[in-house]
Amino acid sequence: MTTAVAPARSAEPAAPDPVAMFASMVLIRVFEERMMELRTAGEVIGPVHPYVGQEAIAVGVCAALTQADSLVSHYRGHGHAIARGVDLDALTAELFGRAAGLCGGKAAALISDSRTNLLMSSGIVGAGVPVAAGAAMAAQVRGEPAVSVAFIGDGALGSGAVHETLTIAAVQRLPLVLVCEHNGYQAGNRTEEVYPEVSLLRLAEAHRVRAVGIDGNDVAAVATAAHDAVRLARGGGGPTFIEARTYLTRFHLQFERPSPEVRPSDEMAAWRARDPIDTARQSPPLRDRLSDADVEAIWERARERVERAVETARSSPWPAPEEAATHVWAEEP
Amino acid sequence: MNEVGLLDLVLEEEFTRDPNLVFLATNSPASLRRRFGSDRVRICAISEQAMTGMAVGAAISGLRPIVDLNRASFAMLVMDQLVNHAGRMHYLSGGQYRVPMIVTSATRGRQQLGPQNEQCPYGIFMQTPGLAVVVPGSLRDACALLRGATRWPGPVLYFVAPELNRQRGLSAALAAAPLRFGEAAHLRHGDAATIVAIGGAVKVASDAADALAADGVHCDVLDPRTLVPLDTAALAASVRRTGRLVFVDDGPRSGAPAQILSRLLDEPGVAAAAGGRIGYVCQPDVPVPSAPPLEETMWPTEGRIRAEVQRVLGEPE
Ligand SMILES: Cc1ncc(C[n+]2csc(CCOP(=O)(O)OP(=O)(O)O)c2C)c(N)n1
Ligand SMILES: [Mg+2]
Repeated sequence: MTTAVAPARSAEPAAPDPVAMFASMVLIRVFEERMMELRTAGEVIGPVHPYVGQEAIAVGVCAALTQADSLVSHYRGHGHAIARGVDLDALTAELFGRAAGLCGGKAAALISDSRTNLLMSSGIVGAGVPVAAGAAMAAQVRGEPAVSVAFIGDGALGSGAVHETLTIAAVQRLPLVLVCEHNGYQAGNRTEEVYPEVSLLRLAEAHRVRAVGIDGNDVAAVATAAHDAVRLARGGGGPTFIEARTYLTRFHLQFERPSPEVRPSDEMAAWRARDPIDTARQSPPLRDRLSDADVEAIWERARERVERAVETARSSPWPAPEEAATHVWAEEP
Repeated sequence: MNEVGLLDLVLEEEFTRDPNLVFLATNSPASLRRRFGSDRVRICAISEQAMTGMAVGAAISGLRPIVDLNRASFAMLVMDQLVNHAGRMHYLSGGQYRVPMIVTSATRGRQQLGPQNEQCPYGIFMQTPGLAVVVPGSLRDACALLRGATRWPGPVLYFVAPELNRQRGLSAALAAAPLRFGEAAHLRHGDAATIVAIGGAVKVASDAADALAADGVHCDVLDPRTLVPLDTAALAASVRRTGRLVFVDDGPRSGAPAQILSRLLDEPGVAAAAGGRIGYVCQPDVPVPSAPPLEETMWPTEGRIRAEVQRVLGEPE
């Protein structure tokens, strides 16, 4: 579980396969719906911040990455992890708090996975951005073509550390891609209540960072924007800030019970009508390439895969109590 | 606010009394906002450092700001404003400026928020001069100490355990008069041992003392209520009498317990009375893990407290 990823020889990933991206979005959706059920049932532990509605962003971005690239996520990170290819059994076991979990049950949703260079999923809004910049710096120092990607919510632009990092990244031309998943809410607040304007592009531009606005519910658009940003960063062209507009069609957070939060019904309906999975299904090339039966088979495979992960997590033992005190201090490697 | 909704009502009353009170948070109570308007009750972006710094400036300028950080782990984000500014401006200005502000946050609960967001960092602020540190041990004291905080002349860090929200007696708690800082609560009386319990651990420590009393072991239980200023005299008097000392805290062993112990050892007779007969039932000095069987090892429980009291009782004088 701790083997480092060898630096990629070929810096460019294969062109994204629309069917694979569709299947990855479906897997995230099925997983998230199941994790919410299992949280309500008390099997999943801790807070669950579902990614439902934003699947296209994780999938489109990760399609642009190679093995050697790094990722920094946050508390709403299951989708990022799945899109990155984190082992689903180990992810699920972690959300169950079990010994076989990615982090041995210590992290719950705040996972790291050294196998896929998922460096951290911080519970502190904005904190991951300088960390991602540090990974970008590491690639720069070593002369490796790796890029570092940080996923943030729109709320993270409130954090001074994010702005500080944008300035440094621009000046030092760090191979850094910030993916801002702008869903219009920051927990209980609507973004326009706390920001001077709804678009976030000018905030990034003010730091002289290349800023690109896209429809975050269009997986192809996300993949293209990510691909361009990653290519630029790899070539020494510096950072990009991608603002991907999207929406959480479930809610911000749940513990024992689904959140009772209310959203304007017309707003919710409009975004549900632009569901990223339906949108991908109905647009070329999938409209022509996949029959309804093909699509149903993809959903069925996802359900089976998630159920297998759930069964594996259930049969994994709890960590031994002594594990609470391990990994406080690093040992000589 | 802070997982303990009753405190919103306290604030409403205090806001009525003192027009200088203002509130800053990412999430301010809707009722407070409706009643006192968006000038005094503000919603901010997720900018804790800016909110805390604004509170310093507003306090110097004559207001009495309250910043709700939500989680105590977010105190780590605002250390500079708290330690280098709020706590030092009175000193730095040679007494010209006072910084009456309150920073509230919730400590550890049972929500499996994990190693980052389950924290009781109040011990850290016992070595940062100028900051009062308030950690209520009951719902009633939570209300009374919040009222006291709105009358304190300098910066106050107010840490409340989410568990207090489960306690009953809401109207009595709400009616409690403002508490002065620096007065410990003497909750149980006995000569066998002194239990010093903090914050969310006060209830379980009192329950454990009751169970021990039923077995004929009568302990003193003291809740300092404010860690800075600390009621060293009350704690020292108890330890001199019992000759045994057990700390019970949801926070780490090297946090508040270590700080309190060092203060007590300065008091004449304490070291001689309790030397070698000191125990701890705390979070060990490790982060709080998410998995329930691991997290469980991090809480003071009645059983652990009883065992620790019995252990120090077994140590020879
Ligand atoms: C520094 C910090 N302050 C406050 C919080 C509490 N908090 C958790 S999620 C959240 C909202 C974040 O909104 P956004 O960045 O837009 O992400 P979203 O949840 O919408 O995906 C807040 C305020 C936190 N985790 N970290
Ligand atoms: Mg958001």
